[in-house]
Amino acid sequence: MDAHATQQVAEAGSKYQDLAWMVLASPLICGAGSWFLSRRLRGLTAGFNIAGVLLSLVLGVILFGISGDHPLAATAFHWLPIPGLDLTIGLQIDRLSSLMTLVVTAVASLVMIYSTGYMHDDRSYSRFFCTLSLFVFSMLGIVLADNLMMIFVFWELVGVSSYLLIGFWHERPAAGDAAKKAFLSNRLGDFGFLLGILMVWAATGTLNLAELSAKFGANPSILGSMASIAGLLVFMGAMGKSAQFPLHVWLPDAMEGPTPVSALIHAATMVAAGVYMLCRVFFLYTAPGAWPAPLDFLGGLGAGTIIGYIGGFTALLAALIAVQQNDIKRILAYSTLSQLGYMVMAVGLGAQLGTPASGMYHLVTHAFFKAMLFLGAGSVIHACHHEQDIWKMGGLWKKMPKTFWTFVIGTAALAGLPPFSGFYSKDEVLVTALEVNPVLFVVAVVVAILTTFYMVRLVVVAFLGDARSESASHAHESPAVMTWPLLILAVPSVALAWLPLGEFIGSALGGHGHGHGAAHAAVEKYPVGILPLIENLSNGVNGALFGPFNHNALAAMMGLFAVLIGSSLAWTCYSKATSDPLPKTLGGWARLLKGRFYFDEIYSGVFVPLHDVAGAVADWIDRWIIAGLGIRGLHGSVELVGRALRLVQSGNLQTYTFLFAAGLAVVAWFTLR
Amino acid sequence: MSLTSTLLLTPFLTAFLVLLVPGNYRLVIRALALLGSMVTAVLGMAVFIHFDPAGAPYQFESLATWVSSSVLRINYHVGVDGIAAAMLLVTALVGFAAVAVSWEIEHQTKLFYILLLVMIGGALGAFASLDLFFFYFFNELALVPTFIMIGVWGHGEERTYAAFKITMYLTAGAMVALAGLIGLYTLSGASSLDLIELQKQLAKAPLSATSQKILFPCLLFGFGTLVGLFPFHSWAPQGYGCAPAATAMMHAGILKKAGLFAILRVALPLMPEGVAMWTPVLAILCVGNLLHCGFVALRQKDLNLLIGNSSLAHMGFAFLGIASLTVVGLTGTVLVMFSHALLAALSFALSGWIRRQTGTLEMAKMGGLLQRMPFIGSVLTLCFLAGCGVPGFANFAGEIAVMFGSWKALPWVVVAAAWGGLIIGGVYMLRALRAVLHGKAREELSTVIDAPNLWRKLPFVLLAAGLLLFGFFPGAITRRVAPAVNRIAELARPVAKPAAAVTAAVATPAKPAAN
Repeated sequence: MDAHATQQVAEAGSKYQDLAWMVLASPLICGAGSWFLSRRLRGLTAGFNIAGVLLSLVLGVILFGISGDHPLAATAFHWLPIPGLDLTIGLQIDRLSSLMTLVVTAVASLVMIYSTGYMHDDRSYSRFFCTLSLFVFSMLGIVLADNLMMIFVFWELVGVSSYLLIGFWHERPAAGDAAKKAFLSNRLGDFGFLLGILMVWAATGTLNLAELSAKFGANPSILGSMASIAGLLVFMGAMGKSAQFPLHVWLPDAMEGPTPVSALIHAATMVAAGVYMLCRVFFLYTAPGAWPAPLDFLGGLGAGTIIGYIGGFTALLAALIAVQQNDIKRILAYSTLSQLGYMVMAVGLGAQLGTPASGMYHLVTHAFFKAMLFLGAGSVIHACHHEQDIWKMGGLWKKMPKTFWTFVIGTAALAGLPPFSGFYSKDEVLVTALEVNPVLFVVAVVVAILTTFYMVRLVVVAFLGDARSESASHAHESPAVMTWPLLILAVPSVALAWLPLGEFIGSALGGHGHGHGAAHAAVEKYPVGILPLIENLSNGVNGALFGPFNHNALAAMMGLFAVLIGSSLAWTCYSKATSDPLPKTLGGWARLLKGRFYFDEIYSGVFVPLHDVAGAVADWIDRWIIAGLGIRGLHGSVELVGRALRLVQSGNLQTYTFLFAAGLAVVAWFTLR
Repeated sequence: MSLTSTLLLTPFLTAFLVLLVPGNYRLVIRALALLGSMVTAVLGMAVFIHFDPAGAPYQFESLATWVSSSVLRINYHVGVDGIAAAMLLVTALVGFAAVAVSWEIEHQTKLFYILLLVMIGGALGAFASLDLFFFYFFNELALVPTFIMIGVWGHGEERTYAAFKITMYLTAGAMVALAGLIGLYTLSGASSLDLIELQKQLAKAPLSATSQKILFPCLLFGFGTLVGLFPFHSWAPQGYGCAPAATAMMHAGILKKAGLFAILRVALPLMPEGVAMWTPVLAILCVGNLLHCGFVALRQKDLNLLIGNSSLAHMGFAFLGIASLTVVGLTGTVLVMFSHALLAALSFALSGWIRRQTGTLEMAKMGGLLQRMPFIGSVLTLCFLAGCGVPGFANFAGEIAVMFGSWKALPWVVVAAAWGGLIIGGVYMLRALRAVLHGKAREELSTVIDAPNLWRKLPFVLLAAGLLLFGFFPGAITRRVAPAVNRIAELARPVAKPAAAVTAAVATPAKPAAN
């Protein structure tokens, strides 16, 4: 009886496992299949790829529904079996990964549908869709991975697909440069990530996330004195992928890729992978900080705190830079950087609270509204014949109403205006900061003011006023295939936080989430799954809508205050402006912001030459020392001896006689001495 | 006749048949060479597929005594363990690809194909030999055509110097290794050069610690020179820079690995004392490969010199795996040997195509080639991504195994390896891609063409598919090599109490060890 029941569970488990594998494999199969079979038939290829991602989405929804309190681990494929090291490919489906799967596939399918319009006239239409599918596959690999090595493998693969997509228009020199820069900056992060993985593996003997979590639970200081260093090394991976200072420089350049790519990869999903990964390995950061001997003075400073500061600094830096950018995509790119900084800060500070839930919450809402903003920007760029300078736009709101209104919704969500979703998730971040680190709370509020400022500036300059260029005056609304995804994305941008999403994430991450109001008490036993979610909707909405004000009024009021300050400032500056007034008022500061604090110049002036100098030295050693002494020396000495001996063999009889006599004299002297 | 012997014989037989064809029948010569190498490739696959990891340590054996005297017995003895099976497979594949890309050779075609086939046969023989004499003989047989081919069909003004340099280095390396082998034979007191007999003999009566410490470096540095171990490496890039594509493919891809193969099979298992003394040195030298050669690659303006230096950098991973002396690290070495063979062959095949089309290898003179050559450009992208260690390609599996295997014993070298592989490798590979493929198409390169048909694409597809296939399923190799690697790691591991063991061996030479 008992055995029978076990067998049934196992069978049910294996059914879901197939389902889970299909979620992962479907984009790959459709992408690769359509590349080899149908790439000359553009429409069919696009259809295949969209179908592949949609299938993942549907299966993801089912998986989300059935993955209950018990995480499901799918059978592992032994990728690299060596005695003593068994690297596997396996899936771990739990609340966190199934939620993230939904975010990725939902945004990805909308972006792909949008792309059928945006990329319609492109020569390499099929290549675009197949590469996007490769990206979705790689991204889902990170999301569903059950071990650190698999995360690393797919981590590199999203890097590759990002490289291919940034450099999609490879005939443009700037695109080629940006692709290279993105890949290499990510590589710097991955260097640390890999060493961190090796360190964790050496100390614990496993790479499986569930096993690691259990081991860290049993013994938080299992890494000994290397705890903080290992944590920071793993964080380096996130630093590259989520573009945190000092590796942030690649993200703005990545905007050279087609706009749908920017929306999917460089705003909603891939760049958020760093934050997601931190949530996955959060057990590394809850342990107390420990340092090896030479760094003892750092005491109990945890990796989490350092990460929090890095995130806060990135958020502030990027928000400042965004204020003085004029390219619509670059403004959004810096805004993404800034919001990623927010998430990273929340996760880092969450280490002291025992949960990264607020960062993850912001990740989910941000994915939708930022994707929508980018697609909206793409719609504008499409309409203005690839004009990206906001000062050459203007007056678009009448010509492109759907784009305009969705863009406004996105702006409201990003700025954090209630009742848009961004307000609630940002509030969670602010609450986390307020509870743990008041300094960073102030930073976060300043960033919120700046965010509202540059977003309102963007909307006012680009959409309101009069058309300031030929292309803007002839703009017209984009086709339905592009506006529909915008309209669909507007729904979660507005209402996602009305669902009890925060509680769900809180419970998914195991710690105590900051629930809002009434729902707060129910966190622990919150029922999971689609149906209960809908049942609870009506109760949840009320609690969720006003939750922040009941829960932590200071944070919520400060968030609201930031929106008001930022938007009124921006409105005074820009409502009637035809050019930017700030450079005059701020002087050198504006140049500094516009020049993006000259990080690119510093890096290309310092780090690139360093490697080149090392290369020159190595080359010199190779050429003159190793080849010179070794081979040319051998060559030369043999030749020298040959020449010397040739002198002796002159063929001159007198010389021979002289040498003979001289030799005789020497011998005689030695013997008769 | 065993499968191994058939495999060995095929290229030699083909070379003989080509010899009989009149020199002006170019098409017949080429068709014959292609057919022969294709049969070889199929046989190579058969050996790999039918090799049973659970079976005998050496499979598909043949044994025939060649010289039998009281002082020396030399056997024709071939057979494969897992490592040899993998290397035979990759040799046969690369050999076929090398023949297939050689359609560009237009003068003295007959001689070229004969030399190429001899090279393939020699390389196969080296990997299959279980007798040290035959190993050495086959290895030299494969090396000698290299020098001729660079001299006769090479490119560039420096080719005479390059041929001279490569000959000198490789001959010197081979001489040192030979000295080591002779020393090993005389001191062991064995009556034959048969590897298995030698192993048995040395297991019974190990060499004295002193002689091990002198002989091991002879083999390590002698064979290491053939691989391009820092600082004995500077022959490689220049030699490859001037060599015709097929020669560079075979040499960088396959012949280099024979040196590693010899270190794995001869040097490591027979002299644990020497291993204990010299692997720390190797660990330091491999940093030279990983970083120094990587930095040099960073400076190169010529595509072939870049590939040559990067392949030296990759050899650093192979040496690191050896220095780690762990099962995981050594398995990684074998994976690196296998995957780098495909990678180097693919790189040189591609650069050969590019040189033929553009007339140059100077990267500054190229640019925008992806637009004119979508196929070659895409394969080059795949190839260089594989070269900087992207997962999905076989190289990643090898490099990651080496790093895992070496982490506990040599963490700082692994840090250097990760920096060299992830960062420096990434920089020069992506710079090259940017310079060669991306950007605006150049006016003066408007006549270049892509690989026009399936037949021309085949060698590239074959090699790239190999990289991907074994990148997805490296287990196919690791399962096969596990028994052999375990054996090597066990034998190579420094004895528990070295001093005591040596004293015992010296004090009571008459009493053999129990096992």
